[in-house]
Amino acid sequence: MKKLTIVLLLVFLVISMTFAQGAKEDAVKAGSVGATITHWYWADNSKYSALMQEMVKDFNETNGKGITVVAEEYPWDGGKYSENLFTAVMGGGGPDTASWKLTATPLFTANNLLANLDPFLKDWDGKAGIDQNLFDIMKEAGKTDNIHVMPWNTQILYVYYRPSMFKAAGIDVPKTYEDFLAAIKALTRDTDGDGKTDVYGFGMRGAKGGQEPWGSFIYGRGGSLADLTTKESVAGMQDFINIFENGYVPPTAPSDGFSEIIANFKSGKTAMTIHHTGSAIGMVETFGDDVSAFPFPAGKGQWTSMGDTENVMFESCKNKDAAFEWLAYLAAGKGQSTWNEATMNVPVSKAVQDQPIFQNNRFMKASMSSVSYAGIFPILDTTTEWISVTWPNTIARALFGEITAQQAMDILQKDLYR
Amino acid sequence: MKTHTHPSMTRANKARRKLLRIITFFIPLLVLLIFLLFPFYWTFVTSVKPTAELYGETVTYWPKNFTGVSYVKLFKEFTFFKPMFNSFVVASSTTLITLLVALMAAYAFSRFEFKGKRGFMIMFLTNNMFPTVLLLIPLYTIMRKLGLLYTPGSLILSYTTFTIPFSVWLLNGYINDLPSSLEEAAMVDGANRTQAFIKIILPILVPCLIATGVYIFMQSWNEYTFAVMFTNEKNRTIPVALKNLIGQLGVQWDLLTAGGIVTIIPVCIMFFFAQKRLVEGLTAGAVKG
Amino acid sequence: MNTRKFAIYPYLLIAPALIFVILVVFVPVFNALLMSFQNYDLRRPSAIGFSGLKNYGSVLADPIFWSSIARTLLWVLFGVGFQFILGFALALILNQHFLMRGFVRSVSLIPWVTPGVLIGLMWRWIYDGNYGVLNDLLIKLGVCDEFIPFLAQKSTSLPAVIVTIIWQGIPFFSIMLLAGLQGIPSALYEAADIDGAKKYQKLFFITIPSLRNTIFVTTLLRIIWVANSVDVIFSMTEGGPAYATQTLSVYIFNKANSMNLGYASTMSVFLMILLSFVAVPYLRSMFKKH
Repeated sequence: MKKLTIVLLLVFLVISMTFAQGAKEDAVKAGSVGATITHWYWADNSKYSALMQEMVKDFNETNGKGITVVAEEYPWDGGKYSENLFTAVMGGGGPDTASWKLTATPLFTANNLLANLDPFLKDWDGKAGIDQNLFDIMKEAGKTDNIHVMPWNTQILYVYYRPSMFKAAGIDVPKTYEDFLAAIKALTRDTDGDGKTDVYGFGMRGAKGGQEPWGSFIYGRGGSLADLTTKESVAGMQDFINIFENGYVPPTAPSDGFSEIIANFKSGKTAMTIHHTGSAIGMVETFGDDVSAFPFPAGKGQWTSMGDTENVMFESCKNKDAAFEWLAYLAAGKGQSTWNEATMNVPVSKAVQDQPIFQNNRFMKASMSSVSYAGIFPILDTTTEWISVTWPNTIARALFGEITAQQAMDILQKDLYR
Repeated sequence: MKTHTHPSMTRANKARRKLLRIITFFIPLLVLLIFLLFPFYWTFVTSVKPTAELYGETVTYWPKNFTGVSYVKLFKEFTFFKPMFNSFVVASSTTLITLLVALMAAYAFSRFEFKGKRGFMIMFLTNNMFPTVLLLIPLYTIMRKLGLLYTPGSLILSYTTFTIPFSVWLLNGYINDLPSSLEEAAMVDGANRTQAFIKIILPILVPCLIATGVYIFMQSWNEYTFAVMFTNEKNRTIPVALKNLIGQLGVQWDLLTAGGIVTIIPVCIMFFFAQKRLVEGLTAGAVKG
Repeated sequence: MNTRKFAIYPYLLIAPALIFVILVVFVPVFNALLMSFQNYDLRRPSAIGFSGLKNYGSVLADPIFWSSIARTLLWVLFGVGFQFILGFALALILNQHFLMRGFVRSVSLIPWVTPGVLIGLMWRWIYDGNYGVLNDLLIKLGVCDEFIPFLAQKSTSLPAVIVTIIWQGIPFFSIMLLAGLQGIPSALYEAADIDGAKKYQKLFFITIPSLRNTIFVTTLLRIIWVANSVDVIFSMTEGGPAYATQTLSVYIFNKANSMNLGYASTMSVFLMILLSFVAVPYLRSMFKKH
């Protein structure tokens, strides 16, 4: 029994020590006057996470108001980042500010968790430097009368292609949607004559995230995301099914996500694929000059998806003025140029957009020339579930021939606009 | 090679036995080991391959260009020691606390009849039937109110809670397999129940305690959902650190696989020492083969 | 023995374990059970309110729910079944004397040590339909002549994730059963040897009956654990393609992540009922013995 008592005592000692340590840390936090802002972010690779810490250091040294930002990295986790953030904020904790995806906005605003940025934006001199259209999108996403989200950068999808493969197939860069479909077919080739396809015309993304390039097909036939059940929308869906059934895309397409479409393109398995400037640096590293980009061509309609990354401030933040300084630094200050130059995302600040590094890049050009018809995926409170569950599974069912294009579109329409 | 031979065995029998041993022992062992270890081997090969070779035209079973750079990067830039240390603290504290608490409860369930016993046992069992994802928001609130949020204490508390029920059941199963005549004999000799338990049952239970301890340690070592919610950069554990390597722009294969290898090896070494105790109970010596 | 004294003793022994469970889990689980009777969708907080059995009705009318149940049964049956058979075989092997036994014992633990984050990704990478080593091996062995997109077609994706969970669970059974094997008195085997018993006879008439409780408990716990596990499936297929790998727990996970907590809670209640069907016979036979 004595031994048992000793072990017990030791265990409780360890526990109380860990608890005491936690309490001490809290005390320090509460004691430090001046504004400390906790910021959560995700990093797409460890280079970007170092970059974020550099920016935080720069901001802390240069803001001149004694504001200290503490940036904490959270895993992206296939988009679960937003749900983890929600759990924390709903549970009464969480950070003061956070990096953001617009699709999460309706969930947070419905629960009144985001701070209203209007009072801060009203007096902010940087507002004019950002396209008003972007602020309108931010407002629209929250389904309230206020802006809750601060723009940071965008990503506009375009088509990557391999000039050498186009040459080998004897075709030009497609000018119309019909040309594009024809190119997919022409680029699908058996290069060594063994009766099997070695190069596929297009790298289709059938897993989560694939809804964005898919949207371009829907518009190519004159359909729209507002009504997926029209004859035109269904025709776009049928094109999508056809290129899979005809074997113009790798047979792994239903489960291919970002990693797979990029890997297939980089290894020469596909001749075209759709992504944004975020992957441009890696493309040039792999291919040098043998990779280029064109905007998704126009058919009866034309659309490409604009992705987005923003920052938000939470209602629970105690030093909102200080937090806004940080958001402003990211949207229009040094944070805007540092981040976008290194990550090759499309800046939201017009002044940064005009810098030569963005103007002279062939991939940026493809992005910028798509701006006029780029659109954001419909942001509803159903969007997150639709993107991560309904879309990939329904598309796979259609690709496998379980359901027709019309049936698939009916399901997609019903679940998105529920 | 050590084999236990039986005195009555003849020479011809021996040859037949050898063949039988190859068929019933070595071949199954080899097949099982290949199945169990191949993914580990593949993780290792991936960690020492340059990225270009990963997506090459042919699959290479040993890297053409061996590179150890991911391991250097892992510790230098990624400071992987910190999450390893945090994981170790959390997992071993959880193991100790859970084992102690669960052993007491398991012994009570196994050796006593008392009111509500079945009810309590079923309660423990159903506790782990409910998906934890539904409990996250209230658990986060509880941890915040207890002042444990962003300390190792929050993970120790939650892991202890979620490993206790299974551990109670596991240990209860083991103790049930032991005849209760064992400690009754000691009690006849004048020992009280606690003494009888510590002197007689505990030594026999060592292998089972180790097995249950391994279960608890693994659960807390590999847990992600609570870890990502209840920790911040200061006390991140391994699963969260590794998950940080999977961004929107793909997987950092080099760091992720290197991190995996570095995570696996120390635990295997620890188990190498523990496994001796796992098979050295007092009643050990069952005829092998 | 003083019976009055013993009346409190067992309660004292289970008290610490109970305190942990009640302190941490009781309120959240109760809350979740309540949510199953509410229209509880955090995306539409203004509409939250009690709705009686409405969730139960809609779950029962949901075809995806029923197909998820069917997949859960396959997932658990084959997953736990093979984990047990192979784990038991491994335990028997590891209980024998051979060279480097300690080393083999510790490396056979590797699947269990591997972080869950990595398991799904590594296996996804092994199964990969374009660069995967499994495809390469199958072609080299002449089993097939074309790369199989294992995780991109309905027929192969569920078996593929089941193989992964089998791989992950073998060490659990081998360690637990190896520990149990140590408790079997050697006298039993010696007596059987004198009677001239064959190996398999010893296995079925001594080893398995002696491990009865351990086998019962480990399989029951593993069934509960596997039925609830989502991380392997999620990191390999996210429940796709075309719902082919969506078990009930993955469905619950998806609904909970979309913050439709009422619906997710209701399905969790059904999952508990399903698991009770397994647990009740187990419990009955266990309590009967004592």
